[in-house]
Amino acid sequence: MDAVFDSSTLILLAKIDTLRMVTEDVHAFIPARVRTECLAKETFDAAMIASMIAEKKITVERAGPDAAVRKLARDFRIERGEAEALWLARKQHFVLAVDDGPTIKACRILGQPFVTAVHFLIQMRNAGRLNAEAAMVKFEMLGRFGRYGERIVEDAARRIREGTR
Amino acid sequence: MSVVSLRLKERDIKRIKELSMIEGKDKSTVARELLASGWEFRMIRFYKEGKLSLSGLAARLDLSVSETIDLLAELGIKAPIEYDDYIKGFEAVR
Repeated sequence: MDAVFDSSTLILLAKIDTLRMVTEDVHAFIPARVRTECLAKETFDAAMIASMIAEKKITVERAGPDAAVRKLARDFRIERGEAEALWLARKQHFVLAVDDGPTIKACRILGQPFVTAVHFLIQMRNAGRLNAEAAMVKFEMLGRFGRYGERIVEDAARRIREGTR
Repeated sequence: MSVVSLRLKERDIKRIKELSMIEGKDKSTVARELLASGWEFRMIRFYKEGKLSLSGLAARLDLSVSETIDLLAELGIKAPIEYDDYIKGFEAVR
């Protein structure tokens, strides 16, 4: 799978130490603004993302023309990084990895395929990269940082335990 | 810093005085801190209601996206992602 990542999903996967595993199966692209957002402060996740960009596990691409990105940001009340990621995903016909509510709404309106961090975790479990116990430990961490609603947590926990999609 | 004069209700002046005594700070400091807390609260509420994106919230709180995620986790603020959005997401990984 080819996917453009917004900073939300990229940072969440880095925080639960699963980003490297995900990029073994997924070609990850980010626009320049997402790189800036992710590397803004010296944190554990920023260090991991910086290292993966240097190793070319994550490819940074230019998004725009500027007017088109601005229009997406204005139309959907999202910020520059989210608009750049959305623009790039649409342009390349890639999936958008995003854990941001307004950007997900924009995806639904535009018919843009999207996934969240929890989908990647379930996919890693289904692909046998994580056993049920390891996946549940990561899911508990993701639940804290990702702050998903109760129904999402219940359903995802069941899928992770059972290893079914 | 600039000087701004504004009319406050008696109740609000009492609250500033009370907080000033509790925290041992001057009234101007307390008023500035309350304004900052109010801004933070209002922006987080916009985010919770889906009126503000995560990056938008981070920018308005002068935090990085990572720090904003940590803050939201600490405050227990749910992400504005619907169950329906989550189910829809599986279409992209099939």
